[in-house]
Amino acid sequence: MRIRVRRTGGFAGIERSAEVEVSDREWESLATAVLDEGESDVRGVPDGFSYEITIDGVTVRCCDPRLSEAQRALVTRVLKEGA
Amino acid sequence: MTPQTPVFCSIVPPHLLEHLAHSSNPAVAEAARRTLIADASARTFRILPLPGTAPTLAPAEAGKPHRTIYDCERRTDLPGTKVRGEGDAATGDATVNRAYAGLGATFDLFLNAFGHNSIDGAGLPLLASVHYDEKYGNAFWNGEQMVFGDGDDEIFLDFTLPVDVIGHELAHGFTQHSANLEYFSQSGALNESVSDVFGSLVKQYALGQSAEAADWLIGEGLFHPNVEGTALRSMKAPGTAYDDDILGKDPQPGHMDDYVRTGRDNGGVHINSGIPNHAFYLAATELGGNSWERAGQIWYDVMTGGTLTPEARFSEFAAATVAAARARYGDGEEIQAVLKAWSAVGVPTD
Repeated sequence: MRIRVRRTGGFAGIERSAEVEVSDREWESLATAVLDEGESDVRGVPDGFSYEITIDGVTVRCCDPRLSEAQRALVTRVLKEGA
Repeated sequence: MTPQTPVFCSIVPPHLLEHLAHSSNPAVAEAARRTLIADASARTFRILPLPGTAPTLAPAEAGKPHRTIYDCERRTDLPGTKVRGEGDAATGDATVNRAYAGLGATFDLFLNAFGHNSIDGAGLPLLASVHYDEKYGNAFWNGEQMVFGDGDDEIFLDFTLPVDVIGHELAHGFTQHSANLEYFSQSGALNESVSDVFGSLVKQYALGQSAEAADWLIGEGLFHPNVEGTALRSMKAPGTAYDDDILGKDPQPGHMDDYVRTGRDNGGVHINSGIPNHAFYLAATELGGNSWERAGQIWYDVMTGGTLTPEARFSEFAAATVAAARARYGDGEEIQAVLKAWSAVGVPTD
């Protein structure tokens, strides 16, 4: 499973991207949760980060501060551990 | 006088300010006093009255901020736990105290320079949450309050460090309650620029700096020492604030010829804001003296005048500044400075 996160916006307007290739269960359940939730409110707030999470070619968008728990856990982990 | 909360600790440490406030050089003493006052409560304001240099204060009842600082304790539930209310003594947390002082400095600029009571003109309580999330390298306005991260320990330090960043976030609230510029494309870049303009004015007013003395930087002191850069943005020279191996180069244009068309960042709102930012800088330095007195007043009049549409483009905003300059100052040097500034950045005013 390939998961890519692209973060744009923010006070600095500096973009950041990271990608992981994973196969363990914990990652997969997190990714599945994000896909199942889908997109809800994608309107951002001034200076808030916007995220694009792409899981095996399917993209879900979300924005701070209205991330679900699964979205936040996934973007944090990919940006931390991904390359 | 009791020791002050470290307000602009990224700029001048408080012990040095205390010392400078008693300087034999009146300009130095005044600047230091302004900075100390900006950090202080209404009580301290009475202890250290300004010697008539600031515009007349509004009536006392309208002249008090209502600040509350919350601690998210590195989680993301907003607003978090209340840790300091209006008039409460400083806490042991410098981040909390900086946020409190920065809210006060912003309140002071709007009230004293423009007679605007808080960011909505009607005494809106000012709320801020600090220590948001873990290693969170950002600050934002969520429509109701300000939110500050501690920085990611890699690129950014604590977002409460530069007072202009605090002013910037609160100015998003000012915009929301005035011209309500849509946060996308050119109107979004104007929204961002207005936050940089008033954020910079908060810093200039607090430090008692003229247009010539100001650094015109946004987020000076926010970068981790590892980053090659002095600030996030430069209103004086857009595109020169940083140039780093990891971050790349500051992408801001300072002229319409270099306007960046992109779908990212809500249509490049943090990029193209460099153009109106530079126009403000040019108008303010052309007029000289305190930027909040004439250039700031004109921008303020545009935001509160009710003529801008939420989708305003640069040219509509520019034309509104010309009209505002004429309405307030007639056909004098103010209107000429504004016309010249927009012309220099390639934005038409008709």
